[in-house]
Amino acid sequence: MADSLAGLDTFPKLLAHHAKARGALPALREKSLGIWQTWSWKRFADEARAFACGLAAAGFKRGDHLAIVGDNRPRLYAAMCAAQCLGGIPVPMYQDAAAAEMAFPIQNAGVEFALAEDQEQVDKLLEILPQCPALKRIYYDDPRGMRHYKQPQLAPYDTLLEQGRAALARDPALLETEIAKGSGSDTAAMFFTSGTTGNPKGVVLTHHALIDRAAAAAELEGLSDRDIVIAYLPPAWIGQNIFSYAQSFVTGYCICCPESAETVMTDMREIGPTYYFAPPRVLEALLTQVSIRMEDAGAIKRGLYRYFMALAQRVGGAILDGRPVGAADRLLYRLGDLLVYGPLRNVLGMSRVRVAYTAGEAIGPDLFKFYRSIGINLKQLYGSTETSVFVCIQPNGQVRADTVGPAVKGVELKFTPQRELLIRSPGLFKEYYKNPQATLEAKDPEGWFHTGDAGYLDQEGHLKIIDRVKDVGTLADGTLFAPKYLENKLKFFPYVKEAVMFGHGRDRVCAFVNIDMEAVGSWAEKRNLPYSGYTDLASRDEVFELVRECVEKVNADLAAEPELAGSQISRFLILHKELDADDGELTRTRKVRRGAIGDKYRELVEALHDGRQVVHVETQVRYEDGRTGLTSADLKLRDAKIFSPAGAKKAA
Amino acid sequence: MARNWPVVLLCAALLVGLALPLATGASPPGFYVEVLLGGLMTGVLYSLVAMGFALIFKASGVFNFAQGAMVLFAALAVARLAERMPLWAAILLGIVVMIALAFVIERVVLRPLVNQEGIALFMATLGVTFFLDGFGQTVWGSDIYKIDLGIAKEPVMVLQGLFQGGILINKEDVAAALVAVALVAVLALFFQKTATGRALRAVADDHQAAQSIGIPLNRMWVIVWSVAGIVALVAGVIWGSRLGVQFSVSLVALKALPVVILGGLTSVTGAIVGGLIIGVGEKMAEVFLGPVLVKTFDLAGGGIENWFAYVLALLFLLVRPQGLFGEKHIDRV
Amino acid sequence: MSQRGNPIGEVILSVEGVSLAFGGVRALTDVSFEVREHEVRAIIGPNGAGKSSMLNVINGVYHPQQGTIRFLGQTYHDMDPHETALAGIARTFQNLALFKGMSVLENILTGRNLRMRANLLLQALRAGPALREEIEHRERVEHIIDFLEIQPWRKTPVGRLPYGLQKRVDLARALAMEPRVLLLDEPMAGMNLEEKQDMCRFILDVNDHFGTTIVLIEHDMGVVMDISDRVVVLDYGKKIGDGTPHEVRASQAVIDAYLGVSH
Repeated sequence: MADSLAGLDTFPKLLAHHAKARGALPALREKSLGIWQTWSWKRFADEARAFACGLAAAGFKRGDHLAIVGDNRPRLYAAMCAAQCLGGIPVPMYQDAAAAEMAFPIQNAGVEFALAEDQEQVDKLLEILPQCPALKRIYYDDPRGMRHYKQPQLAPYDTLLEQGRAALARDPALLETEIAKGSGSDTAAMFFTSGTTGNPKGVVLTHHALIDRAAAAAELEGLSDRDIVIAYLPPAWIGQNIFSYAQSFVTGYCICCPESAETVMTDMREIGPTYYFAPPRVLEALLTQVSIRMEDAGAIKRGLYRYFMALAQRVGGAILDGRPVGAADRLLYRLGDLLVYGPLRNVLGMSRVRVAYTAGEAIGPDLFKFYRSIGINLKQLYGSTETSVFVCIQPNGQVRADTVGPAVKGVELKFTPQRELLIRSPGLFKEYYKNPQATLEAKDPEGWFHTGDAGYLDQEGHLKIIDRVKDVGTLADGTLFAPKYLENKLKFFPYVKEAVMFGHGRDRVCAFVNIDMEAVGSWAEKRNLPYSGYTDLASRDEVFELVRECVEKVNADLAAEPELAGSQISRFLILHKELDADDGELTRTRKVRRGAIGDKYRELVEALHDGRQVVHVETQVRYEDGRTGLTSADLKLRDAKIFSPAGAKKAA
Repeated sequence: MARNWPVVLLCAALLVGLALPLATGASPPGFYVEVLLGGLMTGVLYSLVAMGFALIFKASGVFNFAQGAMVLFAALAVARLAERMPLWAAILLGIVVMIALAFVIERVVLRPLVNQEGIALFMATLGVTFFLDGFGQTVWGSDIYKIDLGIAKEPVMVLQGLFQGGILINKEDVAAALVAVALVAVLALFFQKTATGRALRAVADDHQAAQSIGIPLNRMWVIVWSVAGIVALVAGVIWGSRLGVQFSVSLVALKALPVVILGGLTSVTGAIVGGLIIGVGEKMAEVFLGPVLVKTFDLAGGGIENWFAYVLALLFLLVRPQGLFGEKHIDRV
Repeated sequence: MSQRGNPIGEVILSVEGVSLAFGGVRALTDVSFEVREHEVRAIIGPNGAGKSSMLNVINGVYHPQQGTIRFLGQTYHDMDPHETALAGIARTFQNLALFKGMSVLENILTGRNLRMRANLLLQALRAGPALREEIEHRERVEHIIDFLEIQPWRKTPVGRLPYGLQKRVDLARALAMEPRVLLLDEPMAGMNLEEKQDMCRFILDVNDHFGTTIVLIEHDMGVVMDISDRVVVLDYGKKIGDGTPHEVRASQAVIDAYLGVSH
């Protein structure tokens, strides 16, 4: 970052700066008809300006909202900046949301203008048009299939762009005054967060907040205009937007838009991003793909893979962190890099990755270590929409699997007695749009944002998040009980698909477990253990033993953590059916609904706590065709070993 | 996986056999390498002829018995034409002759017999064989002719530092090998990178579908027979320059037979690898196995080169009927 | 179907009194119908009704003993499949007939073959016009890949694709020929519900976007009725119905033929 950004307090000003300072360098790339097409910064700026003029001509004014619905596309990003040029506010919306889900944000923000990527998105907007009378213009990027649409609200992106170009040609200074009017304290964008209950909230972020945080993280990692990022997550999620918009505008690096969701892997291989972000579930899916391919590989390949992955587990992380490693191991690792790690990074498209982040949810330690061990600098960060993402980042050389790193420059952290994390940062949101009540609850008068997350700082000042505050409870004796933390720890074992912990107000912690059908199924096949289906497999003693081992490993881990050693899992059962969103046991995003499950299976929870060995259950299930039926089973309940804090070392 | 064991065992046995003379010290390394190179050289020629087989079989399903006769015919043509013009012109004209031949065969033999049983087509190529053998002599004569590539035939000594006494290498052989490699490369490019090559592969994969997208089968047959003719010509010229052009050249086709069986009828790669395996195998057997047989069983020795290839092919046929690189034949329902 | 890019036009293909027999077995008996430009025309019937034979007659695989096919005003008797292809008739196959040794991209590129003009020598050298031509064809193919949403599998050998996708590649290859008439041989056979829905959408999109006239045979009645403009019904090689889906559904002869077989 050679150039000074002083005075460039809005995104349109930054864009104008890049168009001058590095006009010929690539700003965006998009794979279209099999070929990577490049937009230079100059082209990007020209497009944004022309579109802005078109919008202005169509009546878009300062403070107006522009809904943007679609995937990562250069023109959608250009439109974001175009709205900002006019002092307007882009509202990126999830492209996979159902029409009904789009109605609220559009009503809430009083959206009059929308840009849709394609016919699919247009259809959804048209569907909610009756509920959103304010929506008067809908532009679309891809004209395919749009020929027969005659609605007066519709117009192609291209048409507006042409109008804008014409207007700009008549009066080249048209936009300059508008851009100059903007200041850092203006609203830059609005992101809707999906609340687990009630309506989503529109998080209002200023130019200053986004730019400040983007710059702080860029400085920490030494990002420059030579970096390359692939934009493959929904742009409506701040976790994508900060990387594919704000930070690109701050550093001048290039954003690449994959051809389609299915081609991301191939596209990554071709592009070779240097800076990468992925939530744990993406990393998990990638690893699964690799594992499956290795299973199918020949014996020699598999042998090599196993040997060198074991080596990487042992020394890979240390080498990446620059800790001392024996010369022989170092040499072997070099060989492994040639034979296994290098090709593996290449297959993953991560050969050139300098910095990779994961965030959004807890990541399994094995998964995290896998990527680090093969030489990918994967790190954790902590943040949310309300904080413009960057609150904590693990600096190079201080990477842990179970913490999210120290506070980034400019951020202050403190905790309430209930262990709730409070944050003060220049990146904090201005408000929840038209929701002063919620704003007041989340942000106190002194400017502290109440995250709702419970956690603590460890001895080295790294933040450790254990759970949501509202979920953190206490056992009868007052011991801290963090159910989600325990559930995650257990779920990190491949055999465990879901886990639900019960213990608040009780004298011990008990768990429901759903086994992972695929993992346990193949485990059973290898042992010639026949089974007829989930329920059968879940009732096998062998499987209970398998799960018990997992539970006891978790307990051993917990014993080493002073805060949590008292909340080890003492009893568990394997549920006779898989938890299902259709039965109201999971949310649509597959999070367990602990309360609902506790109510539904009250009998089982009681049995776990009162020490019974077997319990009979009947449950109603809903089949795919809508009918309902009853399943019944005898469930076994098992005990697990509890470790004393001192005995932890021995057991592990 | 388990099914592959016999093949793996057989290959392992061959490798052991290959290494044995060197490992037991029965042969000085320099001599061993010379024999190996000699085998490879013969193998290259086998590969060329076998490639012609594979190309035609893949594209038209015809087992072309006449491939050997085509080699002789092409060699004769080039040899006789070269008496009247420079060699390059003779070769070019020879190529024209082979393409004309492909046209004639397609028109006279293949087109009338299309959709007939494979055996009918095979018999037809048998007819073509005898016709070409005879007709070739009628047109070009029946003496032994020479093709002079203009490369010195005296062997040169190389790698004297590495092996005691160095290794004798024939410059012409090296040139021939290079030409063969170049030809294979050109063919690979042709098949992989050109629209016509793509069409040929399409025809090989599925006649019906290829036709339905507008690929004319007849033209493709002419092209593939022409290519096979050109390959035959290269083989014929190389062979002819080493041993003279005579009737026995057409017998090389009999050696190509075990090669395609070993490599797989439908695979060009198989033809190349098979040719090299058989070339090296029989030379090694002749030189190293022969004396052992003589000593142990008091046989006359000799003649191993004549049967070794067939025994090898037979063994492969037993463990892997589709050949090393051939596709397993699955009948579509 | 109310909105379409290309209004249904004049008769483009007509089948006139076609009879076909294999030895003593009569596959088709005096079948006549016509296909109008830009329409989606279905041929339905129970198994063994002669649907496939009909398609093969139009496509030139079989030459009927009696009757004629008239395409674009020209009558043809003994055209081979590659000649009908040149004339503008493309087809897909019920039992996939993709070139399994090739990638998806190569398969679709073969569909451009009949439009390639550069001679062999130029192709081999990848020189001037041949290279330009190849690029042009590749671009066409890319549009089709984009249209049928098969970008992720360009370089994948077709044999490794799931069945539904292979069907899509088959369609893509036929589309690459830019045919006037596209014959689809049971395009939904062996597909699951989602794949069927995708395929229906693609067929209608192709018809709408490229204006391609579509003749499809299918025994899944439901699907056919949803996407066809007009339907021909065959039974034992004879035409027993012809009209809009609505008319056909109401016809007693059709009901008898169909209810006679379990469905």
